[in-house]
Amino acid sequence: MVKLTGSKALFEALKAEGVKHIFGIPGGAVIPIYDALYDVHEIRHILTRHEQGAAHAADGYARALGKQGVCMTTSGPGATNLTTGILNAYMDSSPVVAISGQVSTQSLGTDAFQEADMLSVMLPITKHNFIIHRAEELPSVVKLAFKIAITGRPGPVHIDVPKSVQVSKADFKIPAKIKYEKSPKLEPEAGQIKKAVDMLTKAEQPVIYAGGGVIWSSASAEVVKLAEMLGAPVTTSLLGKGLIPEDHPLALGMLGMHGRMAANLAVTESDVLLAVGARFSDRSTGDVSSFAPKAKIIHIDIDPVEIGKNVRVDLPIIGDAKRALTAIIKGLRSHARRGRTSKWIRRVKKLRKDLAPRMDYDEIPIKPQRVIKEIMSVLDENAIIVTEVGQCQMWTAHFYMVRKPRHFISSGGLGTMGFGFPAAMGVKVARPKCDVVNIAGDGSFLMNSQELATVVENKINVVSCIFNNRYLGMVKQWQDMFFQKRRSATCLGKVPNFVKLAEAYNAWGDRATRPSEVAPKLREALRCGKPAVLDIPIDPDEHVLPMVPAGGRIDQMLT
Amino acid sequence: MKTRIFSVLCENVPGVMMRISRPFTRRQINLDSITVGIEPTGLARIILMFKEDDRMAEFMRRVLVRVEPIVSVEVIEPERSIVREVTLLKTKKLNKKQLLKMVQQIERAGGRVLESKNNMVIAELSGEHDEIERVINALGPKILKEVARSGQVLISRVG
Repeated sequence: MVKLTGSKALFEALKAEGVKHIFGIPGGAVIPIYDALYDVHEIRHILTRHEQGAAHAADGYARALGKQGVCMTTSGPGATNLTTGILNAYMDSSPVVAISGQVSTQSLGTDAFQEADMLSVMLPITKHNFIIHRAEELPSVVKLAFKIAITGRPGPVHIDVPKSVQVSKADFKIPAKIKYEKSPKLEPEAGQIKKAVDMLTKAEQPVIYAGGGVIWSSASAEVVKLAEMLGAPVTTSLLGKGLIPEDHPLALGMLGMHGRMAANLAVTESDVLLAVGARFSDRSTGDVSSFAPKAKIIHIDIDPVEIGKNVRVDLPIIGDAKRALTAIIKGLRSHARRGRTSKWIRRVKKLRKDLAPRMDYDEIPIKPQRVIKEIMSVLDENAIIVTEVGQCQMWTAHFYMVRKPRHFISSGGLGTMGFGFPAAMGVKVARPKCDVVNIAGDGSFLMNSQELATVVENKINVVSCIFNNRYLGMVKQWQDMFFQKRRSATCLGKVPNFVKLAEAYNAWGDRATRPSEVAPKLREALRCGKPAVLDIPIDPDEHVLPMVPAGGRIDQMLT
Repeated sequence: MKTRIFSVLCENVPGVMMRISRPFTRRQINLDSITVGIEPTGLARIILMFKEDDRMAEFMRRVLVRVEPIVSVEVIEPERSIVREVTLLKTKKLNKKQLLKMVQQIERAGGRVLESKNNMVIAELSGEHDEIERVINALGPKILKEVARSGQVLISRVG
């Protein structure tokens, strides 16, 4: 037992969790914690320029590494600025641990300076949240917070630390282990697995629909293995991109609103749909009543809440994706009847070939499809693609072929513009040896462009490719398609000059206006030894197509 | 829609009621009754009643199980449990006829008068929800000034 201040104990607890990086901004109610940080050399603190940036950076870090990302802020506005990033992490099941200062316990509820009722604010947007009332609780709360964030279906956890707790001294014991009562059921029921094996062996047109849960369960290899054994094509959700190499003969690409037509048709024609670690979001399913109409649906998920939430499920399997898939693979091995899907595979391969998207445009202004093609020609499979939100994101999701899990990072459920750039910063800190490219729209990039200061000061060399159409592009697309081209409040005008913006921060900045310039300038950006911004003016009238209108049938895409 | 009863065992900490009620608010479900009691173990037993269809009720059960401070959620079938509610009734100033009606109704329903002064009465009535409802409706706003109800408490039957 050592007598320490709460602030020092906090860092002992964080070190015990193996924390190496924290993204954050200090402020009045968290100065004692930052004072303790002054003497901590095992943890690198990255000072962001907005708390939202810190939350997204921790989120990107967590997704790239598969472990908890940490962000830290002061009370009041510092803490409320985290909320978009925290909800983003919650919607996409990302294990962010957020710590914020709070006014002293005796001032709670008095409308003290920079007081916000963060327990109430964070409650609906976190997996769980805490306020620490006594310093002695601190190490066990930190331990529990890290455990909750990563266990089962991951999610963000917030810890509110009043100033009085930060400064009071107590006897601390960092617990080596903590009893956690709510560990989910990991092992699937044998009876359900047997039923799944029966259904899959009888299937003649099976499809696997896999999502982010597969990546968190490290079950990508099992998905590929199962697909090959069954002769079943694989489609993914947005967050599942990369769990199967998208150049694999059985990979169909993304499903849904802006998915690949081949994927949407295959799901519609399937007789058994094996969903794993995916939540059937409205962006994936379109009209649920006509989703996979001929299929019996098997749904593997670790979170029972997801079973039957959006679509009817014929066979629920609650448990860890990797264990469930492994058990199914084992069951299939001992099964005699297999491989009745050759006709189906031929059909799917034909769909894929016939509906392959076109990317070889030569026009100026450049077509975004061509930009993606050029970016793909420069980057190898180890590069990590991060996206902003909107058209730039959907072009990337539709056209870019990701080849490894955790190598495509995007804001799915919440669709947070401004996510990409700070998230890319977190990804680069987590995986410094990988090229990290943020595919951005001009609208999204401006929502957190202040982080240019952070990446330059901290030498976090990410490259942002700005698909610059001077519009809030996706909204404009909906206005063009569904609101009689009434482009209300979506034109962003002529400023800023993104090259000068980059240069103002002492980052590398350049512009590519011809298709042939994209690849060489991107190579230069990756090699320049600085954070870089490549401004790419694109055709402002280009839409993301094909598209399923909201609530429409996924087999009826607008082209 | 059928009445649902959840018996929720949870940690007895500040904010736990908010964590339990919030998922209902978000999905526009009205909780008809919430009662809280502390078990000998120190855990809180919260009884929730609401009306929903089978699918939504099961969904809400799963949502609650996921809430961190909740230890367990038991779905109680009304017929497999004993349900009671305690009600305190205060009358307006009554005439003789009204006073008689009041006392008769209460006593017939197994209740008792706790206080009587200046032609005003406070009575206690405990029993099943519907029976209490019936008495309150029978007395009506001409007699009753104030009604305080405990909400429904229940315990599952022996065996």
